[in-house]
Amino acid sequence: MSATTVHGTRVQHVGRKKIAGYTVLILFSILYLYPFLIQIATSLKDDPQATAHPLSVIPNPFDLTAWKRMFGLTSDSPVPITTWLGNSLIVTIVVTGCRVFFDSLAGYALSRLHFRGRKALFSALLAIMSVPGVALLLPKFLMVTYLGIYDTYSAMILPLVIDAAGVFIMKQFFDSVPVSIEEAARIDGAGVFRTFWSVVLPMARPALITLTILSFQGSWNEFSHFLVVTQKPEHKTLVTGLASLTSGELGSGTQFPLKMGAALLTTIPVALLFFAFQRQFVRGANEGAEKG
Amino acid sequence: MAGRKNNIHGREGVAGWLFVSPVIVILGLFLVIPIGMALWVSFTDWNGNGSPFSGGPKVVGADNYLSLFAKDGLTRANFMQSIGNTFYYVLLVVPLQTITALLLALVVNNKLLKGKSFFRTAFYFPSVTSSIAISTVFLFLFQNTGAVNSLLKLVGIRGPQWFSDSRGLLHLLFGAVGVPENPSWAQGQIFGRSAWDWLAGPSVAMCVIIILVVWTTTGTFMLMFLAALQNLPVDVDEAAALDGVSPWQKLRLVTIPMLRPVIFLVTTLGLIGTWQVFDQIYVMGKGAPAGTTMTPAFLSYNQSFKSFKYGSGAAMAFVVFLIIVVLTWFQRRLLDEDRVPRRNRRRTNPPAGAVPPEPPLVPVPAAALQESHR
Amino acid sequence: MISRTRRRSTALAAIGTAGMLALAACGGGGGGFDSKASQAAGKGPVKLQLMIASSGDAETNAVKAATDAWATKTGNSVEVIVASDIGQQLGQGFAGGSPPDLFYTDAARIGDFAKAGNLFAYGDQVKDENFLPSLVQAFTYDGKFYCAPKDYSTLALVINTDLWTKAGLTDADVPKDWAGLETVAKKLTTGKVTGLVIGNDINRGGAFMKQAGGWVVSDDGKTVTADKPGNAAGMAEIQKMMKEGSLKFNTDTNPAAGWGGEAFGKGITAMTIEGNWIHGALSKDYPTVKAKFAELPAGPAGKGTLLFSQCWGIAAKSTHQAQSVELVKALTAVDQQLAFAKAFGVMPSTQDGIAKFATAYPGDAAFAAGGAYGQGPVNLPGFDPVLAAFNSKFATLSKGGDPKAMLADLQKNGTAALAG
Repeated sequence: MSATTVHGTRVQHVGRKKIAGYTVLILFSILYLYPFLIQIATSLKDDPQATAHPLSVIPNPFDLTAWKRMFGLTSDSPVPITTWLGNSLIVTIVVTGCRVFFDSLAGYALSRLHFRGRKALFSALLAIMSVPGVALLLPKFLMVTYLGIYDTYSAMILPLVIDAAGVFIMKQFFDSVPVSIEEAARIDGAGVFRTFWSVVLPMARPALITLTILSFQGSWNEFSHFLVVTQKPEHKTLVTGLASLTSGELGSGTQFPLKMGAALLTTIPVALLFFAFQRQFVRGANEGAEKG
Repeated sequence: MAGRKNNIHGREGVAGWLFVSPVIVILGLFLVIPIGMALWVSFTDWNGNGSPFSGGPKVVGADNYLSLFAKDGLTRANFMQSIGNTFYYVLLVVPLQTITALLLALVVNNKLLKGKSFFRTAFYFPSVTSSIAISTVFLFLFQNTGAVNSLLKLVGIRGPQWFSDSRGLLHLLFGAVGVPENPSWAQGQIFGRSAWDWLAGPSVAMCVIIILVVWTTTGTFMLMFLAALQNLPVDVDEAAALDGVSPWQKLRLVTIPMLRPVIFLVTTLGLIGTWQVFDQIYVMGKGAPAGTTMTPAFLSYNQSFKSFKYGSGAAMAFVVFLIIVVLTWFQRRLLDEDRVPRRNRRRTNPPAGAVPPEPPLVPVPAAALQESHR
Repeated sequence: MISRTRRRSTALAAIGTAGMLALAACGGGGGGFDSKASQAAGKGPVKLQLMIASSGDAETNAVKAATDAWATKTGNSVEVIVASDIGQQLGQGFAGGSPPDLFYTDAARIGDFAKAGNLFAYGDQVKDENFLPSLVQAFTYDGKFYCAPKDYSTLALVINTDLWTKAGLTDADVPKDWAGLETVAKKLTTGKVTGLVIGNDINRGGAFMKQAGGWVVSDDGKTVTADKPGNAAGMAEIQKMMKEGSLKFNTDTNPAAGWGGEAFGKGITAMTIEGNWIHGALSKDYPTVKAKFAELPAGPAGKGTLLFSQCWGIAAKSTHQAQSVELVKALTAVDQQLAFAKAFGVMPSTQDGIAKFATAYPGDAAFAAGGAYGQGPVNLPGFDPVLAAFNSKFATLSKGGDPKAMLADLQKNGTAALAG
């Protein structure tokens, strides 16, 4: 008798726990996803509708004006979204490519190669990583102007092609890989770069994917750096362009469908990447917790 | 043999330096040297015209720093207000994001529930999107007649005018309990600001930014908690369940103590990250209303590029810099202290079955993360 | 042997990479800060950049049309850049050595820009265009006339005629003084409608200060006069009407409005105090609202309004100054100014232009009249943050803020700015 009651309460207990758990999960998912739904829906509404029914996620009537305007298909002054998109792509691709290559090159050297000053260099790297990005805005502006590359693609790209954190991640990764395979290659007479390129890098695929994702996401979403080193509209990226739209480039009027549309366009590439490489994203986020 | 070995090492030496040379060039050119340049500018009165390094601007010594702390004036008033704003911002954001992240991690980690990966994705997604895009969406959500206020209206609450309401939360609270406006006991001046002003609390407008930041950062921190939770030995969990302890007791007495290092990591990362808020401020009002969303980082930018007081702007940037470096240093030291005794304890007296697995705590890569999630 | 060649090529590749990076980075060689404008008129067609802060599509399109016309005629090209925050964007451009050639310059920033050496003073080349003397004064700093005034506007009382008649008011009731204003504002306040809604800063509320005989600085721009009693009296009047419920700031209405014009258009208020730019908003967003305009009622010290103006600034570092001046001449031609007036409701800055404007738009007489006695903005260097701080406090007048304390701060900060 007692056994059944105990069993009964346990089942009840588990049931209640389940309901509570799902309630929390569903509430929070709504909280975390509904804003994105509103964003998508609003970009497909017209101005009065967007203001009148801010909560509704069904555009009625369905209105493509905002999207048409973004791609210059209306008589209103077009939003140069294709220029922004192009800049974002160029910068992101170059930066990501450079970062993956240079970061792993340096990470490998710091992990494996014996050279004088390696320890000091690594400590310097750690120190550099704790430099907060926002304190670097004016310094970067000064250097870029000093070099005479203010408001150029060089200014947008060069300072971003290496990040100390990426070097660190790669070094940590190489530290965790056994040396034996490379040693075999070296004894076979392969040079250092050759060993790195054709033996070590292929083994580092998971770390490289993580680094690619982090770099892509980081440079696609970058804002403050571009804000201080560029000024011409033709150097705007989607993110800086969106920021100027939002903070009043169009003057009076709210034009929320247009802003939501531009914001959506800014979100899509990273979102696609995110859904394609979810596991790696999670790994990237846990890079700190897994390696050590 | 010995000769060959030396040869290898010599070769490695050259290759090593070559491999790291791009890092040295780029980080040196765009990070180390610029910091030196800005440090120099912070001791001058450069107004943005001509070169700051060749003769033009006057060297004013520590004036720019003094005007932030010691000299009565507008610069100090603005700077101190931005410090006050950030203080309340940090005070709310850090606990909120830590607790929410822990709660979500615990629920998602629950073995009884299905759809774990969907929920994990949903909660993490805001963390990977652009802060500017998210801020734009929040601007829309928190309009006077926007989604949030419509929702509040449904439950009979008249929502505030979020972005133009400069009233501090604490002031509102004081008002609610009958403390008069600007009472006599709060007249004392601290750094040129009255105690009453310091006690304002975050403004209603700042609350939107707080909500936004908590919303976007919990995902990342949830993942950190999840990873740590998954590393917990399962038998502990079951043993605790069988012993008839309530879930709350289990959480308080077993889980949280085991997660202590991660909780610590998350709070310190939050502490460092919150001082860096910039993008959101740029989009959501640039300090308005009444300067209550101004942060030191944004003020530094404004002071330089809008008021042409680059020296003063640079000085502000260095103060922020210093605050963050101190926080980071503090974090690393405490972490080190945290780890050493723990190891010793385990070696001398291993508590049966309940060994807290050592979550490998490297503060630095997490800082890397933060960089990418800024 | 093989390994040695490989090694060498590896080394070369690495050195090459590092060297290229270094070269690419150092290419400019410190020229950034010192780039100087070539004063000589460049030969051949040039590409000018014009940065504007637009009030909306109407203005953007009108400016683009005007510059395109000039570009086609002269064979040059003009790129119109719409700034989201023109102050910060110009600041970056100035310090970065690549500002736009031409840009809107608010009278309030003349001192800042001129003092830092960012403006090309070309006033001499355009002084024959017969600009209004008050405007020439607004763009003169330290004895130099810097740039050609683009246009100007003044504040007037904007009245919703339907609500006015509904409240039983007639033309005879249009307020001439503060007492009259209080009376009509009270009559117009009913239910959801507030009698008068104004912007929450000195750019609107300052009119009351002026009417009471106050202003922030003395006429010669040498002393700060925030502690003059007129200023406190003006702000007290605002607070008095607020207590009576007949006046609200645009941010305090329900729903809050972005500016006075929005509150007016949406019927939240029966009157507002705005410039003639309100035309554009009314005709575009609220075509059914009917409005009439009256000069602002006089205060204890007589009539007072505020005057706003921008000029066509040319960068000291521009390499196309000659062409820029040519473009400015085209943009300030009488016909062009009238075209701008038609497109987005600004008033011509030249005497011929304003004369034609007055005939073409008799309804705007109240705005035009303000030109005679309007107070221009403070154009001294370093005042931008001072007034920003004052404005942020000004907004708290509705929440019981103390005018005396605000003005004391303004006096203190303003004096410091003048000294430094």
